[in-house]
Amino acid sequence: MNTPVIDMHSHAGRWGTLGVDDDAAKFVQVMDAAGVDRACINCIFYGDPRRGNDAVAGFVARYPDRFIGVGFVTPHYPEEVIRELERAFDTLGMKFLKLYPNYYGRPIDDAGYLPIFEWADDRGIVIMSHSSYVDDSNTLTAPWRFIGLAQRFTRVRWLLAHAGNARPGQEQAVEAARACPNIYLETCTSHGEHGTIEFLVEGAGADRVLFGSDMPLMDARYQLGRIVTADITQDAKRKVLGLNAIRLLELAD
Amino acid sequence: MVTVGSVGQLDLNFKPSVPVFDANVALGRRHDRRVRVDTVEGTLEAMGRAGIGRALVYAPHAVAFDGREGNQVLLETIQGEPSLVPQYVCSPATDDLDSFAALVMEHGVRSIRMAPNVHGYPFRDWVVKPWLEWLAAENLTLWMLVDQVDPAELHDVARDHPEVNIVLSEVHYSHVTWVIPLLHSLPNVRVEISRFVIAGGVSRLIEAIGAERILFGSRFPDSPMAPQLYNLHRSGLSEASLAAICSGNLERLLGME
Repeated sequence: MNTPVIDMHSHAGRWGTLGVDDDAAKFVQVMDAAGVDRACINCIFYGDPRRGNDAVAGFVARYPDRFIGVGFVTPHYPEEVIRELERAFDTLGMKFLKLYPNYYGRPIDDAGYLPIFEWADDRGIVIMSHSSYVDDSNTLTAPWRFIGLAQRFTRVRWLLAHAGNARPGQEQAVEAARACPNIYLETCTSHGEHGTIEFLVEGAGADRVLFGSDMPLMDARYQLGRIVTADITQDAKRKVLGLNAIRLLELAD
Repeated sequence: MVTVGSVGQLDLNFKPSVPVFDANVALGRRHDRRVRVDTVEGTLEAMGRAGIGRALVYAPHAVAFDGREGNQVLLETIQGEPSLVPQYVCSPATDDLDSFAALVMEHGVRSIRMAPNVHGYPFRDWVVKPWLEWLAAENLTLWMLVDQVDPAELHDVARDHPEVNIVLSEVHYSHVTWVIPLLHSLPNVRVEISRFVIAGGVSRLIEAIGAERILFGSRFPDSPMAPQLYNLHRSGLSEASLAAICSGNLERLLGME
């Protein structure tokens, strides 16, 4: 049986501090080797989001059948947010939005994000945000923070990247998904201990867990292998690997 | 219209195509949290699911609290299970080398793990030299967790003891800035790749140091056993390189080929 694979979490941008190239062709080679059909790609690293969104658009333009564009905006320039959101989605064709509060130093429920959330709620789009909780030293994207947002902005589908990351965060993420039907969990992490995928699927349900790689920070082959080799049903694997993404992003299958 | 499934054709029942010897498994209860698998039975079950035939195991208690006691607990836990190969933990700053060496020889242990940071000593010759000379004399291999040692100290000691084989374990993408230059510089250092999951990481390592200095490890139960095997099997390796990384290199290091 053919298994569509959609990677919900990958990045454009030259990660020079880790010796990672910003090379779309190399990116596609890894996708091919891993078995990834399409990668949702964002660029969240520039203080000026226009630069990052243009980089994403470049990837999509070069491989339109392999990449799905994901927009980004920063909470530090609220006066620019709506204009850039409209450019990213209406002109560049972004499919959903990625936020990275940890890198930008504001918690996900900071007031600076409200214009973004209101705009996204009007359109009913997917927002994927970094989510991580290890201990109380950093709660900027602790999964519990998303519960109030999901209950307030009910048309947004909230996708928690890394599903809370470490085990305490994963437990919070499952609780958040159980509390809010519009919260979904994305799988990539370098913290994931044995049994993590099984825990997420059992806790949140196979319909609410989506595969992501964090390419090129983490190799799609490893992250995809976490799903393929998990002790879950074949049906659940197919949902996590791609069927849920197709449904959530309303892709044609 | 979006086309999906063109690359697909995944084997959702993936198993490794070569024998696998896991170079990094913790076995037993931890003091700081409950891990999902802490028994021989659970470890063997996970190995069976992942297609792993043997695993090099150490006791978390030996790292966290007391090496001698933890090593003994490990042996009692394993009870001679042939697929679980014991690795001892030592603290050169406090352990008696002669009695430790006697236990190692008595139980046929072939590798040692040091944890300088958690055990509170600098990895310097004026602490570890007699231990490294003993390792060299007995052809035992030293495992060093990447976050347990200062890179400069590791470099200097490994350089000054080229006859000692050292395995740098749990290298993460955040260590890539110094680990690859260190591996370039020191042919007696090998790398265990349980946490090295940066995109194209395996290829980068092979290009830098060759397949013969790379060891598959899982870091179980803090990581699942099988994903890195899936990565290795999809990395375009020759059958010989794949077999070497998955088991041959470790067998050779431990004298078990």
